[in-house]
Amino acid sequence: MADDIIFEPLKFRNLEVKNRIFRSNISGKFDNYNGIGTQTRINWETKFAKGGVGAIISSHVPISIRGRILTNYAVIDHDDKIEFWRKVGESVHEHDCKYIVQLSHGGRQQDVGGIENAMHKALSSTSQTDSFHGLLCQAMTRDEIKMVVQQFADAARRVREAGLDGIELHACNGYLINQFLSSAINDRKDEYGGSLENRTRFLLEIMAAVRKEVGDDFHFQVKLSAEDRNNALAFWEKKGNVIKDTIQVAKWVEEAGADAIHVSMGSTFPHPLNPPGGFPIEHAGRSYGSMIPSGVYTFRNFLLFRYRLLRPIFNFLWNRTKPDQVEGINVDEAYEIKKNVSIPVLCTGGFQTASYIRKVISDGMCDGVAIARPLVANNDLVLSFAAGKDLPEKPCTYCNKCLVHAISDPLGCYELSRYDGDYDRMVAEIMQVFTDGAVTN
Amino acid sequence: MINLERETAVEKAERSRNGTIFLVIFIVLAFLVTLVFFKYIPDAAIDYADINEHFKYGSIGSESVNGIPFWIWKVLPDMFPEKLPVAGKGYEGFGLIQEPDKETPVGFSVRRVIIDRVGMNCALCHTGTVRDTPQSQPRIISGMPANKFDLQAYARFLYACAKDPRFTPDNVILAIEQRKKLNPMDKLIYREAVSRTRDVLIAQAEKVSFMDSRPDWGAGRVDTFNPYKVLQFNFPMKDDKTVGTVDLPVIWHQRPREGMQLHWDGNNTSVEERNKSASLGAGVTPPTIDLGRLKRIEDWLLDFPAPKYPYPINEELAAKGEQIYKRTCAACHAFEGELVGKVTPIDKIGTDRERLDSYTYELLENQNTLYAGYEWRFKSFRKTNGYANMPLDGVWLRGPFLHNGSVPTMRDLLEAVEKRPKEFYRGYDVFDPVNLGFITNVPEENGFEFFYFDTTLLGNSNAGHVYGTTLSADEKNALIEYIKKL
Repeated sequence: MADDIIFEPLKFRNLEVKNRIFRSNISGKFDNYNGIGTQTRINWETKFAKGGVGAIISSHVPISIRGRILTNYAVIDHDDKIEFWRKVGESVHEHDCKYIVQLSHGGRQQDVGGIENAMHKALSSTSQTDSFHGLLCQAMTRDEIKMVVQQFADAARRVREAGLDGIELHACNGYLINQFLSSAINDRKDEYGGSLENRTRFLLEIMAAVRKEVGDDFHFQVKLSAEDRNNALAFWEKKGNVIKDTIQVAKWVEEAGADAIHVSMGSTFPHPLNPPGGFPIEHAGRSYGSMIPSGVYTFRNFLLFRYRLLRPIFNFLWNRTKPDQVEGINVDEAYEIKKNVSIPVLCTGGFQTASYIRKVISDGMCDGVAIARPLVANNDLVLSFAAGKDLPEKPCTYCNKCLVHAISDPLGCYELSRYDGDYDRMVAEIMQVFTDGAVTN
Repeated sequence: MINLERETAVEKAERSRNGTIFLVIFIVLAFLVTLVFFKYIPDAAIDYADINEHFKYGSIGSESVNGIPFWIWKVLPDMFPEKLPVAGKGYEGFGLIQEPDKETPVGFSVRRVIIDRVGMNCALCHTGTVRDTPQSQPRIISGMPANKFDLQAYARFLYACAKDPRFTPDNVILAIEQRKKLNPMDKLIYREAVSRTRDVLIAQAEKVSFMDSRPDWGAGRVDTFNPYKVLQFNFPMKDDKTVGTVDLPVIWHQRPREGMQLHWDGNNTSVEERNKSASLGAGVTPPTIDLGRLKRIEDWLLDFPAPKYPYPINEELAAKGEQIYKRTCAACHAFEGELVGKVTPIDKIGTDRERLDSYTYELLENQNTLYAGYEWRFKSFRKTNGYANMPLDGVWLRGPFLHNGSVPTMRDLLEAVEKRPKEFYRGYDVFDPVNLGFITNVPEENGFEFFYFDTTLLGNSNAGHVYGTTLSADEKNALIEYIKKL
């Protein structure tokens, strides 16, 4: 462990993390419907801190209810949420783990908007509905852009006031900022659309506003999709941004004062390449029902997922761009970006083999890796690396069942083979997160 | 109560989207329905501006129930050439008149009833041909008897085809596709149509099988009422041995005939009722008769004159003949004659009584139920005791003579019964201006075998109507010369 690069601290301009493993953005419907956090969320985050990760990057934390992706996720839309986030930080810090909040606005990718959003359309760069779920949206006015920029800044201030360690801007995976960045989605004719520079304007305005609020001495990273691959599922769509575009965006982001870049993939979520792996369509058939009222294509999708005879249609579309190799799927793109910036680059995408992680960091492909699903499967993954294990005994299978269940069920590992087929044991493990600190007899 | 419910953004979008989807579905469906409607229009007859064309090829409504799907009918001669009377002549072999560039012979109409169907019309039995010499082109004359057409042979051909094991949907469709490519929908329809056509024809053949034990009709003749008994009323024919075979009549100039005793036995005095009855014979049914198109023909026939005799006439001789005619024939046969259109009792006229006896009270009673529920329900059929005296307009085209067509020419009719020919041939259309009638001693021409008529068979007697037989040879010549002018 002494010479293990995985366990070498990663020094950012304003933050030092004890090792190179970051818990990537992931959470479940653990919080109150109105966005106030719960003990369950604290339990969720803390178990990864206990498991030895250097830092936790929160799941998406909406800066406003309008920007929420799903209900029952803690938000940071108001100062009354600061106390909750402080508690999260305190619990995580007990395990020498840093906590970075991912500030997020879902834009049109609002899977379940809740009753607060039912009567209006989501905000976006465009008024075009997405081709997967048919989620409705309207192109933001300049005033709305200003308002959302300020909401990001206010949320950033709350993060710092809560005693947390940094901010990540969620500018990828098809959420609002990505909707501005992507040439496949952004169809604006004003100064926020058209050229790459114009499309990046919204992101840079947010960065400037955030920096203005939190100062220059607070860790601030940006998560970007290396490529949009916007036509991976819907082949009739435009391709969107390519790596060349993202390198340029990364340079501008660095100039704007970012302390790190976090590299992901895709202009939708989920995306055939993100999170990479399978699409458990039969499980989607069980959980997707809660999304039916959300979009104009959702019932169609539900039928595609639910009915055996229709499944091949979706499977064909989804799997035609499926990658052969899951682990490190974004490494090449991360490297391309890293070569063009001087700030650290984090990479996400299926990492769970110590030797491979060691290699990509040693080779200078990236400076650290962000892991979500393999940590959900094995919360103690980092401790096992420290104990010399290269791969856990029951590694993540990249089945993505956790992903599709997240819409309506508690987050956890739903891969029954990892529980030797014992369904009750699986349920018990998933439910454990609710138990600690709960008020019971 | 005010409804304060609001729609979600998605519901609003879906409502307008659903509206669009339904509109698109509606437009597509409407387009398809329109397409199907015009392709398989439920009932569409072909109309002809020219009344004579309408008479020869127009619909009277016989296709809907008793019509044969056009393409099945068209390929039967292709499929079963061995059953045809004249090799390579198709339906013409039955004495039908095929005009150039026409889809069907004269007397057949095509009407779209889901698919095109072929039906019979008035012209089938009431249009014939005349040739001046064997080398002449035939002139087609509407309204005269179909002197060459063997209706019974034609029907028997259809029945034989239906009974043939090769008459299967696969084979028929294969034969049709030799002539015309069918689309999948047509194929589906034709597959069903072949089976139904076969079943109907076989059932009909069974019903009229009693005819097989009676003398054949031959060209230009029909048993009017015996098939009527079984086809309309399912009469058992076990005990009915009558032979009702008669000459096909002329149908021109109907206006002066109104009120006369019509049909050979004078069993009906209504031209309109007689026409509707004849239409039943052509295949219409009370609900499917096309009254509008039939009326067009009826109106035309009211004043459609008999064609003038086209050959030279010795006017001097004819003038003498006129006197003889007035003295001997006019009372019964001139329009102004006091007995014209009236029945002469069988004992007096002395002609073959089979036709008279074939028309029974039972049939009459049943006939007067036809078209029940319509204003034009039959009510004028009566039983008579003889044969009606016919006006003789266009008589030059009406040989052979007497109701059963048993006397070849006018000159033969003016001979004593024992001198009249005992056998002759029917169906040859070369005119005989000397004896007034068609040449009847030719058994065959270019593969067409003419019908051998044997006056000794039941219903074929050439006896009776001895008027004029005692005239001198000169008087007979004069009379015949005058009669040509009628």
